[in-house]
Amino acid sequence: MSKDINIDVEHVTRVEGHGNIVLNVKKGKIEKLQWQISEAPRFFEAMVRGRKFNELRTITSRICGICSIGHSLASLKATEDALDIQITEQTGILRRLAINAENMQSHILHVGYLVAPDLFGIGSVFPLVGSKNQNALLKIVKLHRLSNEMSDLICGRTTHPIRLVVGGFSITPTEIELSKLKKNLEDGLKTTKEVAEVVKNVSGNFPDFERETEYIGLTSDEEYALYDGDVASTDTGRLSNYKDYRSYMNEFVVPFSTAKHAKHKRDSYMVGALARFNLNSKQLHPIAQDVADMFNLRPICYNPFMNNVAQLVEFVHNIEDSIKCIDRLIEYGINQKKPVNVSPKAGHGVGIVEVPRGILVHDYTYNNKGICTKANCIIPTNQNHANIQNDMEKFVPQIINKPDNEIELNLEMLVRAYDPCISCSTHYIDVKFV
Amino acid sequence: MKPKVAFFDFSSCEGCQLQIANLEEEILDLISIVDVVSFREVMKEHSDNYEIAFIEGSIMRPMDVTRLRNIRENAKILVALGACATIGGINKIRNQWPADEVKKEVYGDADIKDNRYFDAFQTKAIDEVVKVDYYIHGCPINRDEFKHVVTSLALGKEPIIPNYPVCVECKKNENICMFEKGEFCLGPITGAGCGAICPTHRSACDGCRGIISKPEVECVMDILKRYDLTYEELKSKSKLYNYSREANK
Amino acid sequence: MVDDTNVKLISEKDLDEFVNKLIDNKTYNVMGVKAKGERFVFDHLDNAKELRLDYDVTILPPKKYFLPPSEKLMDFNITKSFDIKKSKKSKKRIIIGIHPYDIIAIQQMDKYYLDSQKDDFYKKRRENTIIIGSDIQNVSKHSFAESMKTHTTYSGFDILLTNLGNKYAVTIGSKQGNDLLEKYGHFRDAKKSELKKIDKIRNQIASQYDKKVDIDKEEWSKYLVANYNNTLWEEKSDKCMSCSSCTMVCPTCYCYNILDDVSLNLKEGGRIRTWDGCLLKDFTKVGSGEIFRDDKKERYRHRFYRKGNYLPERYGFVACVGCGRCAIACLPNIADPCEVMNTLSSFDKSAETDKYFIKQQTKVPDKGTIHIPRSATIKNINKLTDRETLIEIKLDDNKSLGHSPGQFVEVSVLGIGEAPISISSPPKKDPTFQLVVRKVGNVTSKLVSLKPGDKIGIRGPFGNGFDIKKLENKNIIFVCAGLGVAPLRSLYLYVTDKKNRKKFKELKILYGCKEPCEAMFLDEFEELKKTSDYECKMTVDKCPKGECWEGEVGLITTLFPKIDYDNSKSKDTISVVCGPPIMYKFAIKSLKDMKIPDKNIYVSLERHMKCGVGKCGHCQINGVYVCKEGPVFRYDKVKKLPEALE
Repeated sequence: MSKDINIDVEHVTRVEGHGNIVLNVKKGKIEKLQWQISEAPRFFEAMVRGRKFNELRTITSRICGICSIGHSLASLKATEDALDIQITEQTGILRRLAINAENMQSHILHVGYLVAPDLFGIGSVFPLVGSKNQNALLKIVKLHRLSNEMSDLICGRTTHPIRLVVGGFSITPTEIELSKLKKNLEDGLKTTKEVAEVVKNVSGNFPDFERETEYIGLTSDEEYALYDGDVASTDTGRLSNYKDYRSYMNEFVVPFSTAKHAKHKRDSYMVGALARFNLNSKQLHPIAQDVADMFNLRPICYNPFMNNVAQLVEFVHNIEDSIKCIDRLIEYGINQKKPVNVSPKAGHGVGIVEVPRGILVHDYTYNNKGICTKANCIIPTNQNHANIQNDMEKFVPQIINKPDNEIELNLEMLVRAYDPCISCSTHYIDVKFV
Repeated sequence: MKPKVAFFDFSSCEGCQLQIANLEEEILDLISIVDVVSFREVMKEHSDNYEIAFIEGSIMRPMDVTRLRNIRENAKILVALGACATIGGINKIRNQWPADEVKKEVYGDADIKDNRYFDAFQTKAIDEVVKVDYYIHGCPINRDEFKHVVTSLALGKEPIIPNYPVCVECKKNENICMFEKGEFCLGPITGAGCGAICPTHRSACDGCRGIISKPEVECVMDILKRYDLTYEELKSKSKLYNYSREANK
Repeated sequence: MVDDTNVKLISEKDLDEFVNKLIDNKTYNVMGVKAKGERFVFDHLDNAKELRLDYDVTILPPKKYFLPPSEKLMDFNITKSFDIKKSKKSKKRIIIGIHPYDIIAIQQMDKYYLDSQKDDFYKKRRENTIIIGSDIQNVSKHSFAESMKTHTTYSGFDILLTNLGNKYAVTIGSKQGNDLLEKYGHFRDAKKSELKKIDKIRNQIASQYDKKVDIDKEEWSKYLVANYNNTLWEEKSDKCMSCSSCTMVCPTCYCYNILDDVSLNLKEGGRIRTWDGCLLKDFTKVGSGEIFRDDKKERYRHRFYRKGNYLPERYGFVACVGCGRCAIACLPNIADPCEVMNTLSSFDKSAETDKYFIKQQTKVPDKGTIHIPRSATIKNINKLTDRETLIEIKLDDNKSLGHSPGQFVEVSVLGIGEAPISISSPPKKDPTFQLVVRKVGNVTSKLVSLKPGDKIGIRGPFGNGFDIKKLENKNIIFVCAGLGVAPLRSLYLYVTDKKNRKKFKELKILYGCKEPCEAMFLDEFEELKKTSDYECKMTVDKCPKGECWEGEVGLITTLFPKIDYDNSKSKDTISVVCGPPIMYKFAIKSLKDMKIPDKNIYVSLERHMKCGVGKCGHCQINGVYVCKEGPVFRYDKVKKLPEALE
């Protein structure tokens, strides 16, 4: 069968940032198929030039509203690496709580508010109000609030954290506050299981699609890696020294996108919840394992749509992990000490963390006054753009006989599955500093 | 009749729109008093028939200007949402270099001449392109202030945005003054409304809500001396969110 | 001197136990002084160990427990017709560690809030609170309490603790304090030697003050009045950033703002009171946008006069206890009263001044709470001009408003806010009255959009109106400019009334506005002529082509020569003047030309009357509360009142 298709989705909805899908088919033959990023470029690496070491986290946090905690942490890790600052164990655990909180907030926002409408066959979550599914929506809202309250407590604010500073925390939560949070997390765990059931019931609406690709993420012997770990690939295992990240995250420019693309051994690779799951699923906490089993999610899963399920699994894991973190903090007793003292010096540092959408790198060089002279950030969504494009190229022939609106919806769902964060990915500027 | 409301975003981190999702259960209240007809971040549907437009982000390209002007024409009331929109914010840091120079630095010799996506000029706040009726300041916005503006507009009254500095709220929160801790803080000259959230979490004010008054130079110098701070610290701070204003000094 | 019958002794350990018992008891919320970083604050106590009686000064005074930075005065539901609930009361509290200067500051606050027109919310909190004071152990280097004689106190507390080494002297200040100690404390009577030690310790504290004020506090007022035009105010205020940090941390500042807030579902709402500060630029802003203390020099000076002249004149004490908090909080270091008074000490204190202070006050019915409005219904609503609307209102309790001409009411539209509006109708026995509402702000814009049957809230009547007795057997000249006709209408309708007309001699009404389209009540003036004998002259500043106008054209002052009047009547003539601020100077000059004595001229002044009861501070002109002593003033009393007609 041969037909003509013209799909031009300007500004895909229910994703963060501005991206377009263009598909031109003439007589059954694909003439043009592009995943375009039209977001205005934002030049963050240039903006930090000449800035003092303690200002960088403030600026780079603003790369992205959804993963501002992740950017802050990558930024702090890079700065602390460059200035040889050792953080305390307490700071390490609190930062893990921060990263868990953000992962939870971002994942539940994505699965609950942005993806769920596709599964229910509606345009947004708003029609759920007053419908038979209102209860499910309220449960999702409750989990979202739980995640945000956790960020508020640990970071001072959910979006653009305040308490995360070089060398530690400006204020630490009290034991009473943490115990209260623990109670809420335990309660949230029950709600999450209920939400998982709801998703399970409609998960048949995820398209059946697979494409073999490479998955990259942090890995660690200690735990399901988020804050600390080594970079690893499902193709090649652990990769060399973290400071050589450029050798395996090759970025390149494409003319139809203000965001760069990236590749490693193959044409493209994927980062994010599914990549982390594929690399580290054995280290998931027990209830998270159960939820993965419930959806038959097993490594290595090559279906990008299952990224949504991996996010749900991680959400459960983050709650379980946070409860463990709180137990440890309370056991040791919270020390309300100020952040460790910092004396500026020249140096180069790289900070790598896992953020909701995948592996994030901040790379700074400081002069002897602690002023930034050079910076580079590698954003998860950038690393996924090429993989999205490659998925589309395999996916379109598979669905080409469906009606246009279904093709369009399927392609949008594919993009959405990656949970792209386009503001992040257009932060880019590749400047040479003087 | 519920007012029809649309949300739009330009160059930003979209963190301010996220604050609407962060209203949690109150989102249900929000959609009970306004009709959200466009909100790309969370809904597929779109309509150009709206009375109130909330705009997040700064304006950076000719194509953004066209889009913004269309929104202005459609909207009876236009509200700038967050620092990128109200004052240009962080996005204005790059204005310290000429646009052409930045572009050349960014893209080198790549052939982007006719590519509209890459056609960036100096960052502009929304009111440098179209008339803004109301401002919700902050990076990110304060959810309570957003609610206040929405309820005010729905009730047909003028929102009350404080015209006094952050110090007022900081004192009410009984914070130790950041100057006493030896940090330069923009609180005394930045508009309140944030609840002094940064100093409350022991971080100096960065001025994200915009400068409301310019103190006498002599006075600033006195203060710097009194608290053993340098002029460089002041300059650096005021260039974070208020670059162009600082440059005008 | 310490009186031995009420002094007990408690060991350090037993004091801890006493405090812990109070905390564990759960009957009380226990607050005390705790460390916050390098500074100290009053905060909730979880354990006696947190208590830091060795503190120098807290960031905020304990005032925050009686007048919180933000409090809800009432709840309402705007979807129901008039549904107000007063906010609920607080749990019994104990505050531990308040220094003498702060105890004295609370006693001052009591005067402001409990003397007349009691503030219910403040009163409840005061009654709910047990004060356990503490003698100072460490003097703050910014404090000058010794100069203010506030470093010790013998009253104002339920219990006062004095550290005598490893034990504390406990001075009982009230039965409540005594009961508390009896019930929860393990103590013994103090010995003579220990009583002596208390005095010794207090003397030692007195000697630790490096900062001293060179002017006795009884003399502050004199120095200030004599130096109203001193260049000091300008020099200092040049550095002022108008942040009002000085007033925010002050234990005796009590100005506030009131706002309505509504939840996102547009149903539930509340009226919120927050701290306000007279150093803030918008503090004196009125609905029309005018700011009466626009210059920061005036705001800066106002604070010192309030502390050292206005409040002492009114209450008999200097409203500064020398805690030094403002000196710590002020970044440019210009707020310290000690420094300012010491600078003034080198100037003359006996310079001749023209400054006035008006002590006349109106009696306001002291029933119910001063914040909660009465329910009222809109009966009629008539548009007068593009901007003005005449609204007739009926009080739902069917009682007469009981106002005198020239008074005003505070009108509430729940969820929108409250605005002061002068009463436009003459006193009546029935529960209705009229207001002329000009659309200038949120409340007035909403008011004019309401329909008959809609509910609003009314507080008042407030302020000083016209003393009708003094007008009897006199000629009266009404000078009404613009919206000034609204308050004066309550008077001229009264005097022209058939029943009253014979009590007054000749009546003359001069009425001016900008253009014919702004003129109000023209038909009513015509109608009045049929039943009453009076002379009326009208003018417009200009009459655009095509508009119909039968009166004069020119400023209101051009009307004066046109009325039937000769100077021989001047002693028997009274003039009442109301209009925009700019008009007074010219109208008064004309009246002087007519030889009318100053004491025969009455003016009605506009300011931001927010609370209506002389507390919130917004309407204050110099030392005068317009809402209480005004808005009607005799000209000779205000002509030399700074800020009034300047």
